[in-house]
Amino acid sequence: MGCGVSKSNQFHKNAGKAIKSAVLIQRWYRQFVARKEMRRRYTWHIFQSIEYSGEQAQIKLYNFLGYLMDNFTPASNERNLISHIFRDNEVCRDAEWERYFCYKNIEVPDLYSGPHLTFPLTVEQAVGLVEAFRNKKQLHSRYVLQLLLETWKQLRLLPNINRISTCHSKEITICGDLHGQLEDLLLIFYKNDMPSLEKPYLFNGDFVDRGKDSIEILIILFSFLLVYPSEVYLNRGNHEDHIVNLRYGFTKEVLSKYRLHGKRILKLLQKIFSWLPLATVIDQKVLVIHGGISNTTDLSVLARVDRHNYNSALRPPKKRHQREAEESIDSDEEAGSTNKVLQRRPSLTSPRTLTRNCFQNRSLQDFSDRLKANTVEEVEVHEGLPGPFGPENDTSQSCESISSEDEWKQILDLLWSDPMAQDGCVPNEVRGGGCYWGPDVTEDFLNRHNLQLIIRSHECKQEGYEFCHNRKVLTLFSASNYYDVGSNRGAYVKLGPDLVPYLVQYQASSMIRELSVRQSAGRSERSANKVLREQLFAHKSDLICAFKKLDSENKGRVSLANWASAVESVMHLGLPWRIMRSQLVTGRSADSSIDNSIDYYEWFNELAIKGANADHIDQSLLETLYRHRSTLETIFRIVDTDNSGFITMEDFRQTWKLLSVYLKMEITEDAISDLAVTIDSNQDGSIDIEEFMEAFRLTDKKSRLERGRSMFMGTATDLTKLEGDPHI
Amino acid sequence: MAPKKVEAKKPEAKKPEAKKDEAKKDEAPPPTSRAQSPRGEMKIRFAQCGDVLRALGHNPTNQEVLKLLGRPKPEEMHTQLLDFDRFLPMLQHVARSKETGAFEDFVEGLRVFDKEGNGTVMGAELRHVLATLGEKMTEHEVDRLMVGQEDANGHINYTEFVKHVLAG
Repeated sequence: MGCGVSKSNQFHKNAGKAIKSAVLIQRWYRQFVARKEMRRRYTWHIFQSIEYSGEQAQIKLYNFLGYLMDNFTPASNERNLISHIFRDNEVCRDAEWERYFCYKNIEVPDLYSGPHLTFPLTVEQAVGLVEAFRNKKQLHSRYVLQLLLETWKQLRLLPNINRISTCHSKEITICGDLHGQLEDLLLIFYKNDMPSLEKPYLFNGDFVDRGKDSIEILIILFSFLLVYPSEVYLNRGNHEDHIVNLRYGFTKEVLSKYRLHGKRILKLLQKIFSWLPLATVIDQKVLVIHGGISNTTDLSVLARVDRHNYNSALRPPKKRHQREAEESIDSDEEAGSTNKVLQRRPSLTSPRTLTRNCFQNRSLQDFSDRLKANTVEEVEVHEGLPGPFGPENDTSQSCESISSEDEWKQILDLLWSDPMAQDGCVPNEVRGGGCYWGPDVTEDFLNRHNLQLIIRSHECKQEGYEFCHNRKVLTLFSASNYYDVGSNRGAYVKLGPDLVPYLVQYQASSMIRELSVRQSAGRSERSANKVLREQLFAHKSDLICAFKKLDSENKGRVSLANWASAVESVMHLGLPWRIMRSQLVTGRSADSSIDNSIDYYEWFNELAIKGANADHIDQSLLETLYRHRSTLETIFRIVDTDNSGFITMEDFRQTWKLLSVYLKMEITEDAISDLAVTIDSNQDGSIDIEEFMEAFRLTDKKSRLERGRSMFMGTATDLTKLEGDPHI
Repeated sequence: MAPKKVEAKKPEAKKPEAKKDEAKKDEAPPPTSRAQSPRGEMKIRFAQCGDVLRALGHNPTNQEVLKLLGRPKPEEMHTQLLDFDRFLPMLQHVARSKETGAFEDFVEGLRVFDKEGNGTVMGAELRHVLATLGEKMTEHEVDRLMVGQEDANGHINYTEFVKHVLAG
């Protein structure tokens, strides 16, 4: 029939259109997805670069301070300002130690509504603590100190490398970085049950910093460690380090939550961190460490070091000749360390140079007795040089094989390294410590030690975990939404006797409301862009300099290509600047971009961060302040020896002098006075660190309250200060 | 279109690399990579090629991508690598393609399914079409595309839908 034919034609025409239409939509959808993925990646990259460059800045700072220590005379002011952080704990023997950290005279007031602890700890109490923290309670400082003391005693018994086995069909659960994110720990316990005799756990470091509940996480982990010493294992991470904590928020958190006793808690924690085991081996086949390995990592060396001598991985042992040039000593030494090396043999009459010896098997008691009698001279005590040598070998030769620098490097590599795709092993310049190690190094290491898998953490991964090096290395990260809401999932791994990793992912949902995919991606992007714009502004002078070089005719404009290359040459972030141009160059400077050139002066006007009451301060000084605010804050906190949050005017000046040397820039006395005047509003000669940082808009008050973490170099600035209980 | 930087995704580390693409104006410029990171390889897998082209603002069909790659075997898609010099001509070819859809093309195409001629299509039908015709999408992909588009009766106003698609 005629109609049939035409109908069939119509049908085919329609079908053809339908297909064409479908293909069109499909293509556009795929493009949308691809572009979104690209934007997600560079947003991630922004967060990660800034995180790592913060770590790098941290290490640079400490290298600088170390340099100061080595090269300034003992009498110099600058040195005195900071020498205390290079000095070991002032408390010496066990008796004094216990007295200093005594909790017994701390009273718990009746009004206190948090949990009460009795020792020895029971599982009910540990579980009770988890509940209490879930309900936002805080543990009283008396119990905190008591808990920490017990924990310290326990940790001292542990070897450098835990060796555990999954016998009796026990599956062990391994968790990565938690970074003070209590929600994630609670989620893990909810999904996987709490630690028990049937449920062993291993926590792979970085329990603290950045998140706002670091101390609560520690309390929970330590409690379970005490209750189940054979089922709960802890590895040290690079953030279990009091110097890193100064910068990344843990110090601040503790001082804020524990006004009265925070300092003591921190000091005790310093010790505890150094006593955390460095690694764990499961069934002699799986190595679990926080950072990674290098081509020189040797487990037998690591098994033998005195790990507690390495308070901070950022303090390298001093060079030999410099040590011998040293003149000062603390008469106090670290308690409990049996293999301490002293630089100089103490003498009653005249100084005699100590050879670099190992005084193993002699208890520190022996030395402290002798030293106590020698107040004439001062010798600086440094990280030890142990080794399995007998007491007869009091000669330097036998110790030469393992220098303390080698040991330090072994530990640094273990805690700071990252894997890379290429073969080889190169220094990790991005973080400033440890290495990048390649698949060949993994292969070699596993063979040498007869292992089959390395599980490590240290790097945030979008899915919470990632395999690399031919599935021989597993990265595990347990802090979900780390960079921002929706940025990544967390994961934990379960390992049974078959040693096949079974991964479980999650994402703390209280942080994610019902955001559509577009919304949450957009939010992260906006957040990252904001951070990036501030970074750009902080480097204004260098950028203008770079632009001028390319703007030969001095028109105040550069082409897009030149803009991108100049920005990269200054910022070194490896970002796709051209693609991001539309987000970074906005407002009037975008309008005036004719023929794709950019008016860079106008651009900086757009980016400018207006200081509140800072108009009388020199612009370039302001920029310096902004760029180095994290370093500045860290230095302040070092200078603030009693951790009170205040420093004296005089120390303030000294700090600036220090900073000017570090930054190699001129800061005049007048400029410093101007600064001081601005913030010492009550004229009492002391400066409140927090106020200072806020006065110059160096911390963004608004974002502080939004999240538990500031993106600015990771200071955990969301500390809703506990107004309630002054007695805690 | 203004020249943009190309991002190449690496096979292993999955970190974006920045490269310049001035295919429209000059010939192949030097790639800028992050000199510090030891991870840069500047190669992508065959399977990523389509996504990279799309990330740059083009939207070739999968067929077109395969053709440009020289019709590789399925297993080669995940093992074979492509470097920038091989990629650039592909990009240039795709950029010249005139097959970009305008708003009207979409709407006209969708109107085919508008049985009642009232500006809406059945969500279920659209899903079916997208998953079975042309370069099929997975159920998951279709879900993501259509989130929030269907009304209580399962109808979609396709003019709005097309705006939604193009806004991405």
